[in-house]
Amino acid sequence: MKTSRLIIMAVLMAIVFMIAGCDNAAPGNQPTPANPENKLADKSQPSGSATAEPERTMQLVVYHATKDAMYLVPEMHKVPVNSHPARTAIELLQAGPQNPEFVGVMPAGTQMKNITVKDHIAYVDFNDKLIKKNGGGSASEILLVGAIVNTLTEFPDIEQVQILVNGKKIETISGHMDTSEPLSRSEKIIKK
Amino acid sequence: MRKIVLLLLLTLFGVSWLGIDAAAAAMPSAKPAVGQAVGSKNLELSQVRWANHTEALTGAAKLRLVMDVSGPVKASGVVINAPTPRLVVTVTGTTPGKGVADLTFDGQVVEKVSFDISGTDTKVTFDLPLKVEASDYKVFTLPSDAKANKPFRVVVDINKPLPLPDFSFTAGLKNKVIVIDPGHGGSDSGAIGPSRYQEKTVTLAVAQNVQDLLEKAGAKVIMTRQDDRDVFGSNATDVEELKARSSVGNNYKADIFLSIHADSFSNPAAGGTTTYYYQKTLYDSMMAEALQTSLIEAGNLQDRGARTANFYVIKRTQMPAALVELAFISNPNEEKLLSSPGFQQKMSLGIVRGLERFFDQAAKLN
Repeated sequence: MKTSRLIIMAVLMAIVFMIAGCDNAAPGNQPTPANPENKLADKSQPSGSATAEPERTMQLVVYHATKDAMYLVPEMHKVPVNSHPARTAIELLQAGPQNPEFVGVMPAGTQMKNITVKDHIAYVDFNDKLIKKNGGGSASEILLVGAIVNTLTEFPDIEQVQILVNGKKIETISGHMDTSEPLSRSEKIIKK
Repeated sequence: MRKIVLLLLLTLFGVSWLGIDAAAAAMPSAKPAVGQAVGSKNLELSQVRWANHTEALTGAAKLRLVMDVSGPVKASGVVINAPTPRLVVTVTGTTPGKGVADLTFDGQVVEKVSFDISGTDTKVTFDLPLKVEASDYKVFTLPSDAKANKPFRVVVDINKPLPLPDFSFTAGLKNKVIVIDPGHGGSDSGAIGPSRYQEKTVTLAVAQNVQDLLEKAGAKVIMTRQDDRDVFGSNATDVEELKARSSVGNNYKADIFLSIHADSFSNPAAGGTTTYYYQKTLYDSMMAEALQTSLIEAGNLQDRGARTANFYVIKRTQMPAALVELAFISNPNEEKLLSSPGFQQKMSLGIVRGLERFFDQAAKLN
């Protein structure tokens, strides 16, 4: 009895190894799609010769506002590859634009607490500065929501974004926009 | 016994490594076999997923259905309106996979989606609740993306239809039931200007002017607030407050709903007048355009246009609605204007003329 149990155990273990082995050998050596963060990291492009350089970089796109508060504009960033590109993108959004012609939209002191992706919906959780430090006005609120949603939907695995504050869904940020449900990307607001 | 277990483990382990090559080698030979079984070299329509999408800023709602295909194909759609409205999408040279089954929806955008084999193609039929125009749907393909681990995809977008028009308007303001919503109030000051002038103050002042003017013209006006207070009551949550405002319109079965606001942005140079709408009836954009035209005539500030927005109060009210942003309180010049009774009266007249313009245009649709 004991030996047969051992055999079963061994077979089970072997199967586990086998599955793990196959997964790693998936086409193109892709990390498992279960972890969007890793997958996003894989989007990175090697800088210079891929083999020689030890540090690889990835390209991230974040959105800032035009000075007249009419549109969003994309800004490209090349940063070292890491395992949490979505978090890095939000941090770059928070840091504000490099180009002085653009205006950052994130309220002062806003911090992202957490981000998870499930069924192509990113649940991005901020501290309450997102609401309390936003200056009000439709223009500010539209550009803020648009910049968060468009920055995150740059990642192929993210199609919709649910904004959370302190872990909870919020109905609105400044009393105009309906942020109660996951939101999809807006192309119209991007300056052509 | 232990030796056998070890041997077994090693063997299986070895197979798991070799297996990769074996599987890779087996794949190409396996495919034609499957193809032969259905009598052609058809690609597989392997997986179907769908999601309701709400565009972040306009709130435009659509249903998106994505079909994974094992290789590049062509896809096109055609609308058939009789005997019942349907969108038929043909995905050429594909066969639906085993896991692909018919789908049933809530009927808001689509009632049912069925997958049928039609010669060498897959025919995807969308049963729709209402007739759709060519501009209400889109069929397109996305190439495979190895980096993102995505196969070739066929995408079908269908816009959520507008409800059939159940409004009809007469010209003029007389006997119209109009809800005026002065933005913010009470514990919520709204945006605050560089000289500390508050949004809730100007929105109330203009709303009261508009009320006077409309009542003189024979309209019945309902205000969501008459003084400096929260509409729901103190300690209300944001959603209670917004719902309280849209409920005033819905409960009184008002003809139209108008929310009055002042705008704000971090850059003090930004300025101008904007009117927002959410296209939930056939009249919302018409009302917004009419208001915007009259407000620009009245105030002569930068024309930022009538724009669609995913705003709570104009989305959740059942009647045509608009939200006007008179000027930027964050702009020092416009803050001064907003706080002056002369400019307030000018913009109030602009709103009333805009509403009159709207009713005149809407009456012509009857």
